[in-house]
Amino acid sequence: MKKSRFWLLLALVAALAVVAASCGGDDDDEGEPAAEDTTAGDTGGAEAVDCTASIGIMGPFTGDVAAIGQEQLNWAKFAVDQFNEGRGTSFELVEGDTQLDPAQAATVAPQFVSNSDIVAVVGPAGSQEVEAVGSIYGNAGIAFISPSATATNLTEDFETFFRVVPTDADQGPTDATYMADELGAQNVLIIDDQTSYSTGLADSTTAALEEAGVTVSRESVSQDQTDFSALASGVADDTDVVFLPWQVAANAQLFGNQLAEQGKDAVIFGSDGLFSPDDFKIAGSYVSSFAPDITGLDDPAIQELVAAFEDEYGDFGTFGPPTYAATTVVMEAATAVCEGGEEPSRETILEQMGQTDLPESILGQPIRFTENGDIEDATFFIFQVAEDGSYELVQ
Amino acid sequence: MDFFVQQLVNGVTLGSVYALIALGYSMVYGILKLLNFAHGEVYMMGAFIGYFVLTALGGASSPVLPVAPLLVLMFLAGMLGAGLLGVVIERFAYRPLRNAPRIAPLISAIGVSFFLQASALLLFSAQFRTYDTPQLIPFSTGIEAGPLRISLVRMLVIGSAIVLMVALTLLVSRTRLGKAMRAVSYDREAAAMMGIDVDRVIVATFFIGSVLAGAAGVMVGLVFERVFHFMGFIAGLKGFTAAVIGGIGNIPGAMLGGLLIGLAEAFSASYISSTFQNLIVFGILIVIMLVRPSGLLGSPALTKV
Repeated sequence: MKKSRFWLLLALVAALAVVAASCGGDDDDEGEPAAEDTTAGDTGGAEAVDCTASIGIMGPFTGDVAAIGQEQLNWAKFAVDQFNEGRGTSFELVEGDTQLDPAQAATVAPQFVSNSDIVAVVGPAGSQEVEAVGSIYGNAGIAFISPSATATNLTEDFETFFRVVPTDADQGPTDATYMADELGAQNVLIIDDQTSYSTGLADSTTAALEEAGVTVSRESVSQDQTDFSALASGVADDTDVVFLPWQVAANAQLFGNQLAEQGKDAVIFGSDGLFSPDDFKIAGSYVSSFAPDITGLDDPAIQELVAAFEDEYGDFGTFGPPTYAATTVVMEAATAVCEGGEEPSRETILEQMGQTDLPESILGQPIRFTENGDIEDATFFIFQVAEDGSYELVQ
Repeated sequence: MDFFVQQLVNGVTLGSVYALIALGYSMVYGILKLLNFAHGEVYMMGAFIGYFVLTALGGASSPVLPVAPLLVLMFLAGMLGAGLLGVVIERFAYRPLRNAPRIAPLISAIGVSFFLQASALLLFSAQFRTYDTPQLIPFSTGIEAGPLRISLVRMLVIGSAIVLMVALTLLVSRTRLGKAMRAVSYDREAAAMMGIDVDRVIVATFFIGSVLAGAAGVMVGLVFERVFHFMGFIAGLKGFTAAVIGGIGNIPGAMLGGLLIGLAEAFSASYISSTFQNLIVFGILIVIMLVRPSGLLGSPALTKV
C-alpha cells in the first residue's frame, strides 16, 4: 500500500511539474545552469530562444509493457522540462498511447497528423508500430524519431523516420558472434514472439549463427501467452542456448523459471527488449542492449542528469535515455528553425532533423544521422545477469 | 511417454485456472444472461491482493510465517477481496440496468473492465510484479521420476482447484442457496413469485463466481508468477471461451471447457507448433460451435412461445 501511495504522489508531483513548466519560466529556483545538459551544441548556449511547438509522443503508456512506455514518457517529459528551462523555449508534449499495438498506433497517428500544432513525433516504441504508422507520417511529411525501434528495414522504408538506436542488422550478428565464440554454443533454439521486431531479429540472428556453423532450431510464441511450460518441456536436452528476441521481460523471467522447473540447463540469451533488471533476473543469462547503462558512464554532465531524473521519477532502465535523446533531437531542430527566424513547421523541422549534429548526448556518443535516418556509429552492448540479479557489462 | 505425461501436467495446471475463471462467467450468465466482461479484471485484482499479502508478510524470500499458513492467508484474502469486488460491481454497474435492454449491461461490463484496468494501472503502476514462487517453494520439492517433474506448486494449484470445484458442485446441488440459484436460472420471475429473494441470489452468485476468480488469480501468481494490470484481458477471454465450449450457463461444462483449453494449448505447443497455439484453441471452439451450438454440455435453448 505504501508503495502505491508513493506512486500516486509521484504522479502528482510529475503533473505539477508539467503544469509549472508550461506556465512559463518565472519559477526560477536555483537558476538555469542545472540544465546545461549535453545538448549545448553550437547554437549560442543559454541565450533564451522564443520558440513554441508541440511534439507528439507515442509509446505503450498502458498495456502489457506499460513499464517501458512510462519510462519513455517520463524521460520525454524530463527532456522537455530541462530544455525549456535551459533555453527559454516553450515546447509541449502531446501524448498518444499505443499499447505496443500496431492497430492502436495506426489510430493515434492520424490524430497527430490532423492536429496542426504537432510538428514532429517521438516514437513509436516498437518496430511493428513504426511499420503501421510509417506511411501515414510519410504522406503528411512529419518527421518521427523512435527511441527503441530496431528493425533494420524501417529507415529504408519510411522517408521521414529517424532513430537514435542501432539496428537489428547489428544486433543479430553481435549476439550471434557472442553466442558462438564466447559461449561456444553448438545448438541454439530461437523463439520469436510473433512481432515484426522479433521475427526480423530472429532471422538475422539465425543467418549469422548458421554462418558460424551453429545448428539453429526455431519456435514461436505469442506475447500474450500465460504459460510457457509446454514450450519449456520441449526444449531439447542438447540445446546450449535459447535466444529470446522478446519485448516482455517478465515473460522471459517465467520462461527461465519454467526451464529450471523442468530440469533444463540451457542458457538464456535475450535481446534488447529483455533489458529490464527489475523483471528479468535469471542468473547466468545474457542480455543485449541498444543503449549503454548510462548510470555507468563517467561523464559528469550525464550523471547530473541521472541524479536529477531519479530525484523526480525514480529508477529507470535502458529505454528512457534514448527517449531523452530523441526528444532533444526534435527540440534542437525546432530551436534551430526558430533561430533562423522561421516558425517551426513540419517541413522545416524535417529538413533540420536530417542535419542534426550533436557532438555530445546522454547516450555517451555524438548524434548524427545517415541519409536514411539511422544514427551513425551506434553499437550494441552485452550484459550478463549476475547471481544477485544485477547486470554486468561483458562486451 | 514421459514427455506426454509432462505435457498432461502442464495442460491440467493451465486448464484448472481457466476452469475456475470460466465458472464465474458461466454462473453469472446462467442467472442473468449477462456476459460479465469485468470478470477477468476481478481475477486480476485477486492476483494483486495475493501479491500484496505476500509482500506485507515479508515477501517470498523472507516470509514471517511458515509457508502453509502464508498460502492460506493469501488465498483467503484474494478470494474474499475478489468476492467483495464482484458484489460491488453487481450493485453499481449491473443492478441499475437490470431491466434495461440486454445490450446496456454488456456495455456497462466493458466499461467496468476498462475502469478496473486503469485503476490498477494508476494504483499499482505499470510494473510487472512477481510472486517469486521458486524462493517460497523451490522447484526441487515435488515428484521427480526420471525426466518427469511435477513441482509442489503445480500439485498445490491442481489440488486446490479440484477442492473448489467439488465445493461449488456440492453447494449448487445440495444447499438451499444452490436450489434457489438453479430456480432463478431456470425462470427468474417464477422464482420470485415462489418467494425466492432474487436479488440475494444474484448477489450470492456474483460473490461465489468472483471468489473463484480470486482464487484463480492467486494460483496464477503462484504458478505463473507474473502479476500485472493487463493480465485479466487474455485470461478473461480464455475463461469465456472455456465457458462457451462447455456450454455457457452449465457448471460442469465450464470445468470441462477449461481443462480442454488448457490441454489443447499444452499439446498444440508441444506436438504441433507453439506458433499456432491460439489458432488451434479457437479452431476447436469453432468446430464445437458448429457441431454443438450450445456447447459440449449445454442444453439447447428452448424458444418460449
